[in-house]
Amino acid sequence: MLDKPASALRLRERLIESERLMEETGCYDGITELHLRNQDPLKFETLHTKLRAYCVSAREMARRISASPGVREVGEMVVAIYTPEGDAIALSNGIMVHVHTMSRFIKWMIKNNYEENPQIREGDIFANNDAFIGTVQVPDVMDVVPIFHEGTLVGWAGAVCHELEAGGITPGGDVCLAQERFTEGLFVCAEKIGENDEIRRDYVIRCERNLRMPIYWVLDEKAKVASCIDMRESVKQLISEIGLDYWMKVSKEFIEEGRRAQLARTRQLTVPGIYRGHTFYGHVTAGKPGFQLLGDPDWLYNIPIEMEITTDGKITMDFEGTQPWGYHSMNCTPAGMDGGMFVTLTQHMNFEGLVNDGAWMATELKLPHGTWTNPDNEMVATATSWALLLPAYGVFQRLLSRGFVARGFVEEAFVGQVNSPMIEMGGESQYGTPFGMAHFECAAAGSGALAIADGLDTAYVGWNPESDMGNIEVWEQSMPMVYIGRSIVPNSGGAGKYRGGCSFVSTWLINKTSHLRLHTSEHSSRVFDNGGMCGGYPAPTCQKHRAVRNSNIHELAAKGEPLAHAPGIDPHVSDYEKNIGGDHVLVEGPYITLPHKSGDIFSHSYNGGGGYGDALERDPIKSAWDVENGYLTREAATQVFGIVLKDDADGYPLADIDATVERRAAMRKQRLAKAIPVSDWIDAERSRVEKADFAPEVKKMYASAIKLSSRFTKDFSEFWTVDAKSIFMPGAKP
Amino acid sequence: MTSYSKEVLGDLAAGKLPWPQTRRIMSAYKDDDRFFKMVAVYQDRVAWKDPILLPVSDHLFICQSGDERITRCECGHSFGDYRKNWKLKAAIIVRNTEEALREIYPNSDIPDPQWMEIREFICPECGTMHEVEAAAPGYPIVHDFEPDLEGFYREWLGKPL
Repeated sequence: MLDKPASALRLRERLIESERLMEETGCYDGITELHLRNQDPLKFETLHTKLRAYCVSAREMARRISASPGVREVGEMVVAIYTPEGDAIALSNGIMVHVHTMSRFIKWMIKNNYEENPQIREGDIFANNDAFIGTVQVPDVMDVVPIFHEGTLVGWAGAVCHELEAGGITPGGDVCLAQERFTEGLFVCAEKIGENDEIRRDYVIRCERNLRMPIYWVLDEKAKVASCIDMRESVKQLISEIGLDYWMKVSKEFIEEGRRAQLARTRQLTVPGIYRGHTFYGHVTAGKPGFQLLGDPDWLYNIPIEMEITTDGKITMDFEGTQPWGYHSMNCTPAGMDGGMFVTLTQHMNFEGLVNDGAWMATELKLPHGTWTNPDNEMVATATSWALLLPAYGVFQRLLSRGFVARGFVEEAFVGQVNSPMIEMGGESQYGTPFGMAHFECAAAGSGALAIADGLDTAYVGWNPESDMGNIEVWEQSMPMVYIGRSIVPNSGGAGKYRGGCSFVSTWLINKTSHLRLHTSEHSSRVFDNGGMCGGYPAPTCQKHRAVRNSNIHELAAKGEPLAHAPGIDPHVSDYEKNIGGDHVLVEGPYITLPHKSGDIFSHSYNGGGGYGDALERDPIKSAWDVENGYLTREAATQVFGIVLKDDADGYPLADIDATVERRAAMRKQRLAKAIPVSDWIDAERSRVEKADFAPEVKKMYASAIKLSSRFTKDFSEFWTVDAKSIFMPGAKP
Repeated sequence: MTSYSKEVLGDLAAGKLPWPQTRRIMSAYKDDDRFFKMVAVYQDRVAWKDPILLPVSDHLFICQSGDERITRCECGHSFGDYRKNWKLKAAIIVRNTEEALREIYPNSDIPDPQWMEIREFICPECGTMHEVEAAAPGYPIVHDFEPDLEGFYREWLGKPL
């Protein structure tokens, strides 16, 4: 129980009161005037900068405690400071998606009367990784500690690390085979895991006995608790300097200021109106070992988004028309959806001013009940929510960017994020011990293009603006595989006037193990799960896996024969097939198969981003550079970008400008000759729609969208001038 | 207040500004006079005289054409009333076979045309590719953007249309 509450109200009542005040006044906690900011703006700003410095410094310190290459090397961690009611005041860099999910966790404990039982006391440590309470997925484990000042609860310090092993049905953190909650791994559901600043021994034992690689999780716990204590002590010191009354007021004004800044930024950077976009995700598991037939093994999801920006600057995102939750690992809770929104806003609109929960309060998400965005069943799995979150928030980035372009802020337009499929692994390590790990080099995909420049190559993911693939040598210490290749994937950026950023592909030799389970997640099949913008093409994001079992690589190496270090540029015959003997494997979608052993080869490629603008306007000199450096093939340069290349004296590609101009003029003519009026296409396509002449998965997608959404049904029916319900749901009541 | 010359903004929009300068613009406080200056940059770029009211894509603009407000291509082609989806008046190439998809993705794994097609929306006059949709077969064409033009000018720019 609270020793001395901050106000006469208990925390739960205070939270309800805060929400009521927001509802009544439209301002956070009823703060209609920023008195402290107006009194002394310099003091106001300086204090927030100090808080931010506490967070950044605590995170950097904690990363040195962690044993996980995900946290140490790639930075999969974030920390933040909260009000007593659980609203973020200041945060560090890192996986900022979790700043708001942690807020939900704190509020959940308050609303569930944790003050009474298990009680909230100085020195307590609470942990959670339940997405229905407040996180994205099981591996995102968060710890929070209350901050007391002279017996009064004055805030919370919180930290999240993404765990590389969660103890689920398949090894790793993003448990790709989880089809319902009970296979996702070790759940910690808003649990008090420590007292007096010490993690309980029985909790550590539970972790040690339920995880394949407890050293990551347990040391991350210590890292998080250390960062929380560090922030807590800094805040207490600050309060002793500025006084408790000032702290309680200023911490809330920071949030209201953040809310106002977000509204102002929207009015400054965008144009009011309705923005629409969509993307898709395909999942192919038929016949793969381990998948239970609880639903369709192969399916296609549509992810339509309608975004409204009103003249007061509020952004509303509506997911109506999307698909129901399913027996797979890719469902997402509202907490995860909030997190996706928050991290996207911090990158695109909160690049100045106070970054905190205020930004989130200036937006609204409409998440239809029963869909993957807001499941009406809390038993569903969310272990790989990112598979759908990343494509969805890539659409959001394109919608926002449409507004930036319209407003003239072309330098802010960004074609957006893509999925970055992850490898999970476990079995026997190179040291002969049991192990499990997620390989986090995926945290460095290619980004979508900008409206004025190419996208970032191997340097962006949506969930962590501080993208990093990690060093090869560090990863090799943690897994029984050694790299035999890590290189740019040619053409992996979507074509356009500015191309999307390119991705990379890694190739490994499995080494010193007799049992290595390799799985992949967040890997869309058969469709693009990204898009281009303003005439740019989507990036090719449905790559297949290539592996070689029982390879002869050691014999080849002994003879000094050439090896293959990447799949190459022939989609029909890989370089592995050309150069390496053994049993060659090609797998579509999630890689789930028999264990590997030493001598096998495995490759995995990540995704590039979509392009911006008409590819025929691409600077030929840039493309010649792309070809020279392996970002683009000669074939694509010629047939997609219309660039004629010749070789210089040393054999390097040079753009032939005159020939390029001529070729592009011819290509435009070919386009016009080939294109038909859209109205003609609609007339011709209508008969296919009327007959529902589509693949079963496509038909199922339409039937599900129609069942869940009257707006989708109406839009579909009006567009094709058909009765969508009678086509896709024959027998259903009109 | 931050402000840039029309020449600098013209180079920025054309992707010609040196990266360090571009980077400084990205990091600086935003220039509140950007919109009308950028409209002036675009107005200089087009050969036609209709006043541009709003850029909506790389080469598409909503403009005042007599009493009407229309979506116009940089080449001058009109796609009609700006409140209607300009794509419905465009020309289209649909890539829904492996062969057609392979033309754009010669060296990569490609989608299954039974699950996904690419729709290229082209100006019927100049052949500029204005938008590309990646969609499941049968998916309605998206109306990307319906700006609240009146509200934008009246309430945000303080200058009625």
